[in-house]
Amino acid sequence: MNFYDVFLRCRAIFQRHRVEDELEEEVQAHLELQTRKHVAAGMTIQEAQAKARREFGAIALAKERCRDERRTGFVDHFRQDFRYAVRSLRRDVVLTLVALFTLAICIGANTTVFSIVNSVMLRPLPYPSPERLYWLGERMGRNRAETTIGADYYSIREQNRVFEDVAAYGTRTLNLTGVEKPEQLDTALVSPSFFKVLDSQPLLGRVLAEDEQGVKVPHIAILSFRFWRSHMASDPRAVGKTISLDGFPYLVIGVMPQGFDYPKGAQIWRPLSMDERNEQPRRVDRPMHIVRMIAKLKPHISERQLDTELSRLTASVYREYPKEFASAGFLEGMKILATPLQRQMVGDLRPALLILSGAVGLLLLIACANLANLLLTRATARQRELAMRMALGSGTARIVKQVLTESLVLALPGGVMGVIIALVAVTVLNAWKPSVLQNYPPLMLDVNTLAFSFGLTFLTALIFGMAPAWTAGRIRIQEALKSTGPVHTSSRSATRIRHLLIVIELGVALMLLIGAGLLGRSFVKLATTNLGFPADHLLTLRVNLTGGRYATLVKQKQFYDEVLGAVKRLPQVKEAAFSSDLPLSGDDRFYSGAKFEIAGHPLPMAQRPQAGITVVSREFFKTIGIPLRAGRLFGLEDTERSRDSIVVNEAFSRKIFPAEDALNRQIVIGPNNPVKWRIVGVVGNVQGGQLGAEPLPLIYRCLCQGSGAELYRTGLVVRTIRDPHSAIGAVVAQIHSVDRDEPVFDIRSMEERLADSLAPRRFYLLLIGTFTAIAIVLSAVGVFGVLSYFVIQRNREFGIRIAIGAQSAHVLGLVLRESAMLAALGIAIGLAGAWGVTRYLDSMLYGVTALDSLTFTSMSILLTAVAIFASLIPAMKAVRVDPVIALRED
Amino acid sequence: MSVVDTMAREQRLDLLQGTLDLLILRTLQPGPMHGWAISERIQQISRDVLQVNQGSLYPALHRLEHQGWIKAEWGISELGRRARFYKLTAAGRKQLELETGDWVRLSTAISRVLEEA
Repeated sequence: MNFYDVFLRCRAIFQRHRVEDELEEEVQAHLELQTRKHVAAGMTIQEAQAKARREFGAIALAKERCRDERRTGFVDHFRQDFRYAVRSLRRDVVLTLVALFTLAICIGANTTVFSIVNSVMLRPLPYPSPERLYWLGERMGRNRAETTIGADYYSIREQNRVFEDVAAYGTRTLNLTGVEKPEQLDTALVSPSFFKVLDSQPLLGRVLAEDEQGVKVPHIAILSFRFWRSHMASDPRAVGKTISLDGFPYLVIGVMPQGFDYPKGAQIWRPLSMDERNEQPRRVDRPMHIVRMIAKLKPHISERQLDTELSRLTASVYREYPKEFASAGFLEGMKILATPLQRQMVGDLRPALLILSGAVGLLLLIACANLANLLLTRATARQRELAMRMALGSGTARIVKQVLTESLVLALPGGVMGVIIALVAVTVLNAWKPSVLQNYPPLMLDVNTLAFSFGLTFLTALIFGMAPAWTAGRIRIQEALKSTGPVHTSSRSATRIRHLLIVIELGVALMLLIGAGLLGRSFVKLATTNLGFPADHLLTLRVNLTGGRYATLVKQKQFYDEVLGAVKRLPQVKEAAFSSDLPLSGDDRFYSGAKFEIAGHPLPMAQRPQAGITVVSREFFKTIGIPLRAGRLFGLEDTERSRDSIVVNEAFSRKIFPAEDALNRQIVIGPNNPVKWRIVGVVGNVQGGQLGAEPLPLIYRCLCQGSGAELYRTGLVVRTIRDPHSAIGAVVAQIHSVDRDEPVFDIRSMEERLADSLAPRRFYLLLIGTFTAIAIVLSAVGVFGVLSYFVIQRNREFGIRIAIGAQSAHVLGLVLRESAMLAALGIAIGLAGAWGVTRYLDSMLYGVTALDSLTFTSMSILLTAVAIFASLIPAMKAVRVDPVIALRED
Repeated sequence: MSVVDTMAREQRLDLLQGTLDLLILRTLQPGPMHGWAISERIQQISRDVLQVNQGSLYPALHRLEHQGWIKAEWGISELGRRARFYKLTAAGRKQLELETGDWVRLSTAISRVLEEA
């Protein structure tokens, strides 16, 4: 193969007419020259022409051989097949449209899901060499391995041999003060190495210097692009200016470029104040810093090397802890773990996305089965034509190629339509921005996605073209040509394939149905979960007190008392209270938790039970409506001097005092604490951070008790008389009448909180429900097609039966029995399949098991009903067969 | 088919497979020629012993062109109309040398066997 050859072949393909004309001209020139020669030898013109032609031989054959030399035959064949396919598909409009829409919808659905997966999981993080970024976490005891002990950060950073650098950070929300409208800001406290790990340069100014860490760090801030644009009007001289956070001035030293967004949503980066000399002597009796860690792997380090290094580091860090830690059980199961940063960030979404991908994949499988069936029916109808072509010398390979071309001709426009559908879906999703996708870049049909759709289109064409191609390749010419009857006498094997396909299709549809059913039931159960209090007429919002001005408890209490008084004065408010935690806040961790022991029963640290601590104002239980189970609620007797009363929830009393009365029992929190807390009341459980989570042991403390109950970040709960939304303006105004500078945020009614915490599930359910609905329609179409064909095929038989007196019901039964049998086989496959795969749904189920028999049964019945329903029309056709016509055929 | 043709054919030889390419290349050595002239020339030089089948000539020309050994250009024929003239390329010259060498070795070997065996 040389360049000139490539050139000639391209010319033969793209300038086909010109090349053909040239060939014709060349042959004609030859004939003329030859004629002239004969004329010169004394022949008449006619004789000479005839002789020249004769000598040349078969001109058409010579030309064909010339074309063969061009070796572009595959293109010519494709061209022929393509035209032929288009022509024959145009003849069968209904079939073509059904096939096109099936494909378009399924490829559209797959492309949409892929674009979500792409946006969330595949698109690389916008930092250099993102594949080398890792999240490091320490697993210790029951810890979830998301954080690291501060001291260990120093050890890991210093001792490791595989990371370019390791960074520590934490997050904290602060109030932006000194501005017109006070505001909450998500800030990150980072080590100087943070910017090295992410390998990012500032847009303006500088990042942190190596010495900007330690106990006393300067008040400096690096701004996010977003903050710089919205709060500083993209001021090019922003560096050197000052902003006020929680009442303290911070010097702006830099601005990060757009896209630098780690940790997600951070608006400001500040130095992390933590010091190696203070952290490294690890001591049991002193609280330790907890940090989050990211690291960048050196190039060319394999997973194996990383694993080995992590084990080595774990052992080395373990040895640095004094003996007391191990004997107290702190270090149980300690292990330093590394997760690719991207995967860590996708987090909880991963299983859901995999489930969605699986569901659309199944949908596509159904579409393939359907299309294969449609084309198979046609192929059978065209068997005689194909046999004729084979008899005339067409090779099997050539016929198979032609059948496959036909499926491709169907698939390509289907794929294009699918991409258009996906484009619409993606646009809608981007505009709607479901909460699940809020933290991710907008969905896009980028090169990856388009490549995916086209790959999928070709694959689909190949899969659904396979069945008809296979039968086409097995045509027995003689038999096909001999049969003179109606064209529907198909081979047994084709019928068998058709039935097999529909059975598989029904099975897959049942798997989707069962999956959707399980998710649906979970959703209903969750939505109707008893929250532990009435959710209506409750307004909730958050207030964070600015650190500096509310440093003392007295100041804080003054603020809370004044706000409560002001809010309660409103005519539309029935009751109001503060609480450090709001139910359904979306966070599944405690705001603060503590280990404790029962007074008189000392336990080593590691074995102490843990409980969450919520600080509330006196009227909290009354306001939100949590019922008292035993003892009393906080009352006027709980003052700053009586600081030992606590109220616990039922989960606490059941877990800690399973057999005894919890009332008046005393507990001790933390090591060496002289204060004993006395349980004065037990209240009902509430749904905590996340809906559906098991209620955890909880201790309530009263704001009225003073020390030990400081409360900077707090939620306000207001029970309103009418619609809570109508009270928002007045409530916020009352808070600002007490202090103009405190930002009020996260204002939602409790019912909205409930809806929001259900939103991700609603989104998945919506998608999977849609796929399942499409799957049902497709299977109905499939069953309809196969049974219509079944009826046509046995037209004569039905005619005879009716002629000899068969009742309508009997004929009807024959058809329905056929469809019921297919459904039964499909259900068998579907149940087996579902039994195998529903366990992967486990993480998304609530209140039902993955093998919930009610769902399995009801969905099977539903599918049977669909199959029977889809076969009613063909069955009616069978009943109405006219024996005279049926018998006369042939 | 006429009687004359049949008689003529008896004195002519069909070309061995693959030798047509060699003959075409050799014929084109002196200069560019169109298809008809090539076939006339081969016939002439072989004193009408070698008859070029037109059904093979043009595919062969196509093949040689695709292999890059000859190049076609449009020119004006003796009749004053457009005709495709074929010309040896540098690669074609090399190929001709190679094939001529092969052919000489082969024919010498065959004659030797025929004479001495």
